Amino acid sequence: MASQETFKEHSVAEFFKKNKQMLGFSGKIRSLTTIVHEYVTNSFDACEEAGILPEIEMEMKETGKDRYLLKVKDNGPGIPKKHLGKALGMMLAGTKFHRYIQQRGQQGIGAAGCTMYSLLTTGKPVYAESGNGKEIIKCNISVDFKTNKPVLTNIIEEPSDFRGLVVEAEFGDVKFEKSNYGVIEYLRRSALVNPHAKIRFTDPSGEAIVFPRSTEEIPPKPVEVQPHPLGITAHDLLDLSKAESEYSRLSSFLQARFSRVSLAKVNELKDMLPEINFNKNPKNLSWEECEMLVQKFKDIKWISPSADGIIPIGKDLIEKSFVNVLNPEIVVVSERKPKIYKGGIPFVVEAGIAYGGGIASAGKKGEVMRFANRAPLLFDAGGCAITETVKSVDWKRYNLKNFDEEPIVVLVNISSVHIPYVTAGKQAIAGIEEVSDEIKNAVMEASRKVQVYISGKRKKKEAETKRKVIRRYVNQLSSDLAELAETDDEEKLKEKLSEMVENRYT
Amino acid sequence: MNEKVAMDKLKGLGKDIHDEVVKGEPPKFETVLRSRGNIKYDEGVGCLRLGNKKETRNFLTVSQSRTFMQTVAIANKTKRFLKEDLHTSIRGLYYQLKFSLGENLDESLFEEQGESNALIEDLEVALGIKREDLHLTTDRKGVVAGPMKIRDKFGGEENTIDLTKQGRSGWMVPSDVDNGMEFMDVDAKYILVVEKDALWQRLNEDKFWKKEKCIIITPKGQASRGTRRLIRKLADQDLPVYVFTDCDAWGWYIYWTIKTGSMNLAYLGRDFSIPESKFLGVTMSDIEKYSFLKKLTIKAKDIDVKRASEMMGYPWINKHKEWVAELKKVLKTKQKIEQDALQGQKLTFVGEYIKEKIKNEEWLP
Repeated sequence: MASQETFKEHSVAEFFKKNKQMLGFSGKIRSLTTIVHEYVTNSFDACEEAGILPEIEMEMKETGKDRYLLKVKDNGPGIPKKHLGKALGMMLAGTKFHRYIQQRGQQGIGAAGCTMYSLLTTGKPVYAESGNGKEIIKCNISVDFKTNKPVLTNIIEEPSDFRGLVVEAEFGDVKFEKSNYGVIEYLRRSALVNPHAKIRFTDPSGEAIVFPRSTEEIPPKPVEVQPHPLGITAHDLLDLSKAESEYSRLSSFLQARFSRVSLAKVNELKDMLPEINFNKNPKNLSWEECEMLVQKFKDIKWISPSADGIIPIGKDLIEKSFVNVLNPEIVVVSERKPKIYKGGIPFVVEAGIAYGGGIASAGKKGEVMRFANRAPLLFDAGGCAITETVKSVDWKRYNLKNFDEEPIVVLVNISSVHIPYVTAGKQAIAGIEEVSDEIKNAVMEASRKVQVYISGKRKKKEAETKRKVIRRYVNQLSSDLAELAETDDEEKLKEKLSEMVENRYT
Repeated sequence: MNEKVAMDKLKGLGKDIHDEVVKGEPPKFETVLRSRGNIKYDEGVGCLRLGNKKETRNFLTVSQSRTFMQTVAIANKTKRFLKEDLHTSIRGLYYQLKFSLGENLDESLFEEQGESNALIEDLEVALGIKREDLHLTTDRKGVVAGPMKIRDKFGGEENTIDLTKQGRSGWMVPSDVDNGMEFMDVDAKYILVVEKDALWQRLNEDKFWKKEKCIIITPKGQASRGTRRLIRKLADQDLPVYVFTDCDAWGWYIYWTIKTGSMNLAYLGRDFSIPESKFLGVTMSDIEKYSFLKKLTIKAKDIDVKRASEMMGYPWINKHKEWVAELKKVLKTKQKIEQDALQGQKLTFVGEYIKEKIKNEEWLP
């Protein structure tokens, strides 16, 4: 068993080393954005769990061609010594992997992935400082690729009142650029959906940009929920059963560790699977047995999973952020109930539309901002269900002639314990029917309100234009008409005509 | 007089709209649709005219607002012309009305002349009067000679013009032959309309009008409004009208415009058409009859052929089998012949040709 585990971990680090594009390390600009994303989401998640208003400072310096030194400092709870290595130097360390909790970083490979990238491109380890307000630990962290074990060196531990995490790392084969895929755009969008955070970023030219905090409200702590039978794979089931130490019978393990699994449901499973001994220790479940169980889970009518674990951004906050960041003429945000995909995974879609005003003056047109659990998705837009769905909306029906030319920003945020990403790069939402349908419904709900606003405004504007046009002609017509009819009624005609024009076009 | 009628109608238009406005009703007036769909061939009279489809112009309709104001401005301005007894061209009218609508408005009453043309037609149709009655002149075109006199009241003077004493140049047809003009001592047996000025000069030199006791008119191509009115008025004195043009679609079309009027000016109706006129030649059949003409034909151009096939499609033309036969010959032989070709053997043959045709009643309807 031990050798099997070693082999597994070995393959994880080696695998991602060879396939770093799967983690978002492909292309110089994208790689840098991925790095920033990993650190920022880690900080946000940590602060949220600890109930702290996040404050992140970042500084980037150019150290060579396509080579940058990045320093990230947050005010979070810090990482205890025993977890520090795992968090920054071990792929799939499992600190989050099997927790059913809604977080931005979901797969636990993020920050360790950055360490890996630093080692691969510069050969240098990552320097970290972690403080809990009483003591601080300073060290260098690298990854042993063969064993997927973190390696900590130059460790200094001393008393300190610093609380938070500092990471300093140098990366090669990356590039800073002020583009739609760059770091600043990423941070701008992050700030948009995390109005409780304050972010300060100093770019390689020394120019600092601050995204201020616009609410003191800390989002609710994410709740850890039990997995629903419909939301797990055979692999998940095997991992969970191996880790089980409290329950020694399969039937009680299933009831205790999964949501909506009752004795009655276990009995149904027993009837369907006479070949499985439900009294056996879950630790002894075989891969084949897990597969059979997961297969049969699909044939049982379950009560839908609880959506308690899902924390959307919220209508008010999206509206507030839109106003703060974009200053648009109108903001509309849809409010939707949780839905379920693949029969068991709850998710919530929020769609916000901002139109006109600051968007027009900033020259933005037809922009789609994608988010998953409040983390911006900047890349792989073409293959993302959000982009595809937004583009598939018949915007003409909503009084928007040409979506790509209108001063409009559409924000879509998907919140779920399990975001259905296309790849481990976590940049695109998979086109699962239930998810796509819900995105469409949410966007259309918001669009309808925008339509009402635009058509009302357009009508009013049209009436005003018409009124103006006709009023220009009133004086000339009155004078000609009075003379033609051989009367002295010019003034009276003017008055009457003006009145008629006003009444007709208001 | 027409001018008096026009004056009253203009005032009436003003009064009607004025009263509507005072009552708080949207200012509007009605006119007849001039589009292709409302152009009819009047079988009884034998001319093109407008049907009954009406159109309302409303000042409160944004798309019509500006043109409504402009139409009233034209009405008022031309009423002043009538009062002052002054004439001008539509270009002159345009300049009279090209002024700013107000100090802070970057817009003129008229920006270009093109705007006014359609509105003048609107006014003509709405009021049932001609632009000539509004003292709007058009370019003169057309020359006359023959046994008749004209009394011309103009510019405060009155002159009598003898059309037998116009020498080599003839009398030029003015744009308006209705107002301030009287035809006297018309002592002719018929009227001959000759397409080309060159042929008219030939006949004038030959003293054809004197020998034949007829009035010769050349429209110099397509007949102007004034020329068409002149022929109409003479025809009204029970004089037969014969038309003599080139033998090609263009020449024939000149004949048909004189006879039935044109699509563009269908709104003018009978006043500008002479349905009783007859076509003397030149015809395709003449080529067979006068053998010397065979060598004088020219190849028809594409546009001649195109026009010929268009004419075949007009019901007022294709109801005459003689014309269908002529047009078919053009389409088949792709040939044409100019009236000038009649001088090919002998310059004075033209006169003989015409006399023979009339004597033998050899004409097309």
